[in-house]
Amino acid sequence: MRRIISVSLLLAAVLIVVPGILTLVGGGYWFRVMTTIGVFSILTMSANLITGTTGLMSLGHAGFYGIGAYATALLSTKFGWPFYLTLPVSGAITAAFGILLALPTMRLIGIYFAVATLGLGEIIHVTLLNWVDFTRGPMGISAIPGVTLPGVFTASDTTHYYAVAITALIAAFVLGRLTHSYYGNALRAVREDDQCAASMGLNVVGLKIQSFAFACFFAGVAGGLWAHTTGYISPGDFRFSESILILAMMVVGGLGSLPGAVLGAVILLGLPEFLRPIGDYRMIVVGAVMFFSILFLPRGLLGETPVLTVVRRQFGLAWDAKSNLGWRQ
Amino acid sequence: MFDIFFVQQLVNGLSIGLIYALVAIGFTLIFGVLNVVNFAHGEIYMIGSFAGLMAITTFAPPLFVVILIALAAGALAGFGLERLAFRPFRRFRDEASLKSKAIREATLLSSLAVSIIVREIAEKIFGSNMQSIPQDYLLLKPIQIGSLSFADGQFLIFGLSIVMLGGLQWLLKRTRIGLSIRAVANNPMGAAYVGINTERTIIATFVIGSTLGAIAGLIVGLYQGAIFPAMGFVPGVKAFVAMVMGGLSSIGGAVVCALILGMAEAITTSFFAQGWGDLVAYLFLVITLIFFPTGLFGGGRERV
Amino acid sequence: MTPLLEIKNVSRYFGGLHAVEDFSGQVQRGERVGLIGPNGAGKTTLFNLITCFTPLSAGSVFFDDKDISSLKAYQVARLGIARTFQNLRVMPNLSVFDNVSIGALGALGHSPFSALLHHRNYAKDISRRTWDALEQAGLQGQASEVAANLSYGKRKYLEIARALALSPRLLILDEPAAGLNDTETAQLGEFVMKLSKEGLSILLVEHDMNFVMTLCERIMVMASGRKIADGTPQEISNDPVVLEAYLGSEEEEAA
Repeated sequence: MRRIISVSLLLAAVLIVVPGILTLVGGGYWFRVMTTIGVFSILTMSANLITGTTGLMSLGHAGFYGIGAYATALLSTKFGWPFYLTLPVSGAITAAFGILLALPTMRLIGIYFAVATLGLGEIIHVTLLNWVDFTRGPMGISAIPGVTLPGVFTASDTTHYYAVAITALIAAFVLGRLTHSYYGNALRAVREDDQCAASMGLNVVGLKIQSFAFACFFAGVAGGLWAHTTGYISPGDFRFSESILILAMMVVGGLGSLPGAVLGAVILLGLPEFLRPIGDYRMIVVGAVMFFSILFLPRGLLGETPVLTVVRRQFGLAWDAKSNLGWRQ
Repeated sequence: MFDIFFVQQLVNGLSIGLIYALVAIGFTLIFGVLNVVNFAHGEIYMIGSFAGLMAITTFAPPLFVVILIALAAGALAGFGLERLAFRPFRRFRDEASLKSKAIREATLLSSLAVSIIVREIAEKIFGSNMQSIPQDYLLLKPIQIGSLSFADGQFLIFGLSIVMLGGLQWLLKRTRIGLSIRAVANNPMGAAYVGINTERTIIATFVIGSTLGAIAGLIVGLYQGAIFPAMGFVPGVKAFVAMVMGGLSSIGGAVVCALILGMAEAITTSFFAQGWGDLVAYLFLVITLIFFPTGLFGGGRERV
Repeated sequence: MTPLLEIKNVSRYFGGLHAVEDFSGQVQRGERVGLIGPNGAGKTTLFNLITCFTPLSAGSVFFDDKDISSLKAYQVARLGIARTFQNLRVMPNLSVFDNVSIGALGALGHSPFSALLHHRNYAKDISRRTWDALEQAGLQGQASEVAANLSYGKRKYLEIARALALSPRLLILDEPAAGLNDTETAQLGEFVMKLSKEGLSILLVEHDMNFVMTLCERIMVMASGRKIADGTPQEISNDPVVLEAYLGSEEEEAA
């Protein structure tokens, strides 16, 4: 019962309350801001699976986001595919790329993995920038169709908000099931002590690859949404600084915490909107918020441990009602 | 047998490689002493460049004064960086936490945050475009030797790099502070027990590393005529690649790998479009990490 | 009946260092075997070889008649060899329950689809195994605590509970009594004896001679990577070779 209440409150907030408020404050622009926040929420939640839960610091997530965006852009402009095909296919393509590119780096740990992913992200960025025949290079791809379903709804800021919000809910559901479960315990064990996890019978490399694949899938879907909702993409959207932005969102929200990832996206993209009157200090705000949260809130605003406790209790995922310890799945 | 053009490219690559080497040494020193990655090192490079440029535009001093100013700016920036992004995380003194995974990741993130802030502030002040550099200071005067043509900047890079590398060797091997740096790199607790001031040594390491980086930034800025706030990122990553290839804590290895990297890039750009040159470093990085996880020269490295 | 664990002429070299050289030994089903030897004799390295943490340089290891020498660490664990570590390796940020569930996950396997598709029976099995192991180790009262908050002694039990959740047939303990006082050591001895009575085979390294002599049915002695003696506690304590190895090593250390 508690679970049904919690879930319906969440759905009502995302699908009714937020769009309602956005319409009241003037629609258009604020819908676009919320769409961006939604895309970054998906990105941060997905990166959080690798970095927060499995403990592999990824500095190249923007690269995978870019693969998804370009896959969608090319599929929809060259072949005219509709969004319900481009999004899952882009996700799958990105996941395949992710596995292929990350397979050799899976043995690396700590900062070596971080730097290897930085390298992968930059390889993707340089390729997008220079493979002009395929990606049109720095000019980018324009006139990407929006999210439309002929006869049902047409592309608009509101439609895009709903497309992103519903995808984000699906991503939260899937990633939540992965992390708020015994499978999530296995991933966290890899983060805490990979050798020890192996000695307890966990296939550490397998778990790393699986979490990378799921994370890349959703990064790809987020890229696809970005392409559809903005209509224009260029390699500049998928630079290292975007990876850092994603990382900062995770750190601020709390590594390993799914609601934290969303909160991080809301803060780091929302705050600059309110600071806009005093000038565009977006990245300075990002840097400063990140710095102070590492210093004063090393576990983030919504740290993993309390979030897991709440999720077990509130969403009815715990096995034993008295102790709220195990997982129901 | 040897194409002139090819030799020319090799020389160009060598001079860029030397710059990467100067930057890589800063990384290597800091990694050696603290086992942390200093993500703001590229910003030190940028600061050196801008300090020099500001000196040039305000009172146009002779080149060696400009270099001294960049040097001072680098030292100051290194000191500030250590206090701001690294010192607050060394709350505990035992060896386990001095080189622990948690500190490593926290300082990686904090230096990243500081680097973003510094770069963005520079962009707010100077704009993100390339700065104009007075013609007299550009190190691009052609010098013809036989059928090869060089820029005077290349000679300056060669000369200055050799002086600095030599100076660094002298500093590390012959002076007291160099001895402390090597001792702390080896065993921070042991060094503290025999009465070495670890804090001061760590600061000295940052100052020395940052000085090298700042000077590298200045010369490259003047040689390539490109000084802009984001200039530190690419050389920073490449120097980092050189450090990883060289085995992380070996200065010699880092220098050799930086030279290899510089030349490989120069050769690549002579066959492909300029943009693809950047790919070389990243490919080198990924390949090294996969096939030579202890660096090309197989230095002993703990599993981190 | 064949032994549960059979180590055949196992060697491990690190560069020129012969950490373990031509070691052979067995653990019978249900047996409690102690492995002793001076520091640096290669005991932990041998454990790492048995559990396939470190690859073998030569020789082979059989577990229940199956050659496990070329398997990966997690595969060996799934076959039924669980271990604890010399320097406690609990996962500090996870709760005691979640820590122990890692062992159960290792035994039952882990697939993302079990989580996505909500496999209730799988979750039930893991929960049951985890509670069983917690009860065996007497930790059910602390199940919800974060592992970092447990006392040192309790963390030892936590490590053993995690290993038990794997439902192993062979339990390898690396210096279980290190850092415990006499009372705690005695309690641990009783606990290990109880596990053994339930049919678990045990192989342990320990420096506390009293602990080893009273607990183990058979003792293997290692020095400089080689096995120098193998026998009952009485035989070992009267063996001149063993005495010499211990005294000799002390002289070397003094010099």
